[in-house]
Amino acid sequence: MRRSLAIISANPMSLTGVILIALVVVSAALADFIAPFPAHRGAVVDFANFNQPPKWPNIMGTDLVGRDLFSRILYAYRISLILGVVVLALAVPVGIVAGLAAGYIGGRTQFVLMRTTDVFLSIPPLVLAMSIMGVLEPTLANGMMAVTAMWWPWYSRLVFNITLAEKEEGYVLAAELIGASRLHIMFREILPNCLPAIITKMTLDLGFVILIASSLSFLGLGVQPPTPDLGSMVAQGASYLPDSWWLTVFPGLAILVAVFGFNLLGDALRDILGADR
Amino acid sequence: MRSVCKLLAGRVAISLLVLAGVSVLVFAIARIIPGDPARIALGPNATAEQVRKLREQLHLDEPVWIQYGFFVRDLAKGDLGVSLYTNRPVTTDIAQFLPATLELILVAGIFMIGIGLPLGILSARYRGRAVDHVIRIASLLGVSAPSFVWAVILMLLFAFFLPLFPIAGRISTDYEIARATGFLLVDSLLAANFAAFGNALWHIVLPAFALALSGIGQAARLTRANMIETYEKPFIEMARSYGFPEKRIARRYAFRPSLIPSLTILGLDFAAMLGNAFLVEAIFAWPGLSRYGVTVILRKDLNAIVGTVLIISAAFLIANLVVDLLIAFLNPRIRYGQESK
Amino acid sequence: MMTSILKASMAGMALAALATAASAGGTLRLDEVAVGGPDPAKAADYSDSSLIFNVYDTLILPRQGGPGHVPHLAESWEGEGTSFTFNLRPDVSFHSGNPLTADDVVFSFERTVGLGQGLSYLFGLVDSVEAIDADTVRFNLAQPNAPFVASLVRLPIVDKKLVMENLGDGEGDMKDWGQAFLSANGAGTGAYIVKSHNPQEETVMLRNDNYFLGVPEKAPDTVRLRYGLEAATVRTLIAQGEHDISSQWLPPEVKKALADDGMQLLTESGTGAFYFKMNTTRAPLDDVHCRMALSNVFDYGSVLKLIAITDTVSGGSPSTGAIPVGMFGANPADEVLVRDIEAAKAHLAACRYDPAEFTVEISWIAEVPLEERLALLMQANLAEIGVNSTIQKVPWALFTEMVSKPENTPNLSQIFVTAVTGDPDTLLYGMYHSTSAGTWQSPEYLNDAEVDSLLDAGRTGASESDRQEAYAALNARLMDLTASIYGFDRQSVFAASPRVSVPALSDPAMAFGLDGMGFAFRLMEIE
Repeated sequence: MRRSLAIISANPMSLTGVILIALVVVSAALADFIAPFPAHRGAVVDFANFNQPPKWPNIMGTDLVGRDLFSRILYAYRISLILGVVVLALAVPVGIVAGLAAGYIGGRTQFVLMRTTDVFLSIPPLVLAMSIMGVLEPTLANGMMAVTAMWWPWYSRLVFNITLAEKEEGYVLAAELIGASRLHIMFREILPNCLPAIITKMTLDLGFVILIASSLSFLGLGVQPPTPDLGSMVAQGASYLPDSWWLTVFPGLAILVAVFGFNLLGDALRDILGADR
Repeated sequence: MRSVCKLLAGRVAISLLVLAGVSVLVFAIARIIPGDPARIALGPNATAEQVRKLREQLHLDEPVWIQYGFFVRDLAKGDLGVSLYTNRPVTTDIAQFLPATLELILVAGIFMIGIGLPLGILSARYRGRAVDHVIRIASLLGVSAPSFVWAVILMLLFAFFLPLFPIAGRISTDYEIARATGFLLVDSLLAANFAAFGNALWHIVLPAFALALSGIGQAARLTRANMIETYEKPFIEMARSYGFPEKRIARRYAFRPSLIPSLTILGLDFAAMLGNAFLVEAIFAWPGLSRYGVTVILRKDLNAIVGTVLIISAAFLIANLVVDLLIAFLNPRIRYGQESK
Repeated sequence: MMTSILKASMAGMALAALATAASAGGTLRLDEVAVGGPDPAKAADYSDSSLIFNVYDTLILPRQGGPGHVPHLAESWEGEGTSFTFNLRPDVSFHSGNPLTADDVVFSFERTVGLGQGLSYLFGLVDSVEAIDADTVRFNLAQPNAPFVASLVRLPIVDKKLVMENLGDGEGDMKDWGQAFLSANGAGTGAYIVKSHNPQEETVMLRNDNYFLGVPEKAPDTVRLRYGLEAATVRTLIAQGEHDISSQWLPPEVKKALADDGMQLLTESGTGAFYFKMNTTRAPLDDVHCRMALSNVFDYGSVLKLIAITDTVSGGSPSTGAIPVGMFGANPADEVLVRDIEAAKAHLAACRYDPAEFTVEISWIAEVPLEERLALLMQANLAEIGVNSTIQKVPWALFTEMVSKPENTPNLSQIFVTAVTGDPDTLLYGMYHSTSAGTWQSPEYLNDAEVDSLLDAGRTGASESDRQEAYAALNARLMDLTASIYGFDRQSVFAASPRVSVPALSDPAMAFGLDGMGFAFRLMEIE
């Protein structure tokens, strides 16, 4: 652990990643204290002061009903992070179980599970999530479901490939010899060997989940107002280009900063954990 | 050659199986729509009698599996039903809009390979130096924003502030090109109308680049990683000890073996572009299948949703098939996917 | 080889830049948000209308600059009560070359009613239409109907012979009534001919040189009606001289930016209004006091600030009641509705529901971004008196489906409604008569005997003063019932390049008083 920290802080790129993520997480967590206008996360209107370019005290300008853009971006980070964590918390276990079962049991189980995985992977991810969101009410919970539905197959394929390799290893054969149960072998013997790869992928994916979720809400299929959301801010602001550039540029950059941070850290983790599969 | 045919046959069979699965999935998704598609189709002032008639016509009163049966039967006849949005057969819509999307993606693919691979090679060759750092950061930035953000930023910079490129459409209205393939770049050349070709090219640069940016980043990162791995292999050391020039080592010994893993990922990136095209087409008013897809999803136009998703998935499968075959040709050792290794 | 293609394409790029800079003379380019459908029996919304009014003609036209109607395809007409006879002009022919006859009028009516879509409900009281001879046609009504003549501006005349030659698959004698054919082709007598129709790009129309009234020299040769362009795109294209007239749905800020750049603002006013419609069948808005609390707390003044474009042009004017200013029964223009928080609180206290225990759903139509801001305004207003609310974005197609059942209809629905023929009957009957409940215009589900009888009185009124009286009483009754919140009287505003001149949309003396009619391209002039 200490060694990992040393490696991370020695590398300027991963250090930048850590700093960026820390900034994003802290500003999301402490939005109530940092945001100059905490009330602006919700339904507040101030038509005396709408669509204003950046100037004090609205350092990123105001939106189309007069709310402080900077405050709303901080709260939008909170929603994005929660969404990312929930999606991975749902998708990763499903993917792990499917991948382990398919890889270790093989035969018909493998055929059914991996072909199902293929079906899900054969629809471009965004298209799949869009089709699901298209038929559901656009709420935060449904958005999470739709993104989860497109995310688990990637983990089942990853775990499946590792399991295939690992199940021929000596330690697995040894466990089989002493009569360990299938469940024990899958979850206690093989799974720990998949973890480095899974953790690396999760770090990278946290960024990508935020990215996909923002794409969904860009298309009008995400959370609904007055909840602040980066993707829908960009979408709404896009109508007012180029005159009201701040409406799109700041939320767009906010997405970039968060995802960039997770990517930097994920890269560093990949080097440290040697999980380059 | 024979083994390649066998590989091809196997791959096609699996792809068809997957496509059948996709059709079931999409069909299921499309049928759980809340609300009555017949009423949506007929519009605000339809009578109950008209709704009933249309429901009958669309077999909406039958159980879902029977509806699926009708769907497969019609599909076999090349009939995907009528779009409620355009009032035309879905197949007509797809035939009209698909080429625009494919053209955009192909040009983006050319950008991705033409810019991404050289950047990756450069980065690997000068590993640890300033060039490498700049390329790594730039390519990581490329993958760190959704393509709609890139589209907006590029548009703001190069269409609004510096009006170098047009902001919407495929071609200026001054040109009339006879439709042969639907690909304007091809059709204009077929008509030997170079001015129109240039105009179409001028229109496609910005959207294609916005679409390609994350792919360029991805391609550069992968090529770099793979080449570095190859650089550490003993035969490179050997080549160095023989005193071969670095340029030749890079090109001949390090790049070729790195190409194969890159190709696999490029297949996946193609899929990502099919998805991201939805975002870019919306911003650049690109009259392609993805923009159509967004509209029909928002309008819950069942037939059109099913048709669009099926076609896009099929395009994706075909792209992966092509990549698989390319790899098989490049490396005869790769025969049968990883699953039976 | 490669280099020569490259060179050629570079040259092409330079040429292209030149060509666009020179820009097409005589070509009018405009845009709409929704795809215009060229089928006259299905036309209902603004983009359909602006297509139909140019490709097809109607028996009569609204009089420019005042009330009433003037002859058009019909030279003259007579009749009252339940029978009206029209004499057709002898010199009109369709784009196909077929001459216009009374049979075509009968066919157009039967097709519209047979398909039962679009605005066909306007003709519900017409029993039959018969051709007396080649140039004479008679409409027989089931009962006297004052707005009947006005409704004829919504009966475009279709080329029967051409349509019958192009019937598609379908059941019955009339098969598909030519729907497949007319969804992409024109079959009218209008001043413009459909050249091509691509639902994702544009409909291209060419001037009809054989038009029976002639098309003035300065009118556009070619019209490109583009669909679904982003607001930012339209804004830039107009500024660069590559687009001529924007849609009315461009956000007010963007129109303002264009006006600041020297563009003109065209207006088409007021036969309609913006409403928050309250579902009177569901708690809590089935209690009139809760409804009155909402209508009193709404900040009418802020809305006007939001829709203002310049000091002189706005997307609407203050509402004075249930009927827009300028129509029969409207209140005087200076009696504007204002916000009254104290009254709102008093009504809320009188309401039998406790505000702590309900949440009001506010819907907005996804295609109209302005409504999202109005929803946020309403939400903030409601919060001031302790009422919770949620906002729901609904695509238009889905909205029309939702409101067909009272239990699915949101508490508050935001809707723009206009009188489709300019007559108040077509604005009010469809909104408030108990038999019209459950359409997009009537999510109130109002069921009030007095309202019904006043609407019927307005419809059958023998004289203008009878109708005036009925609608004034109706206005008062509707204000008492408070089924809708009357946001503002709407005015459509379009940003346009100075190279076009559109008298029907800039000179009140030339205005038609009918939504979409101002886009008669033959009356425009282009440099």
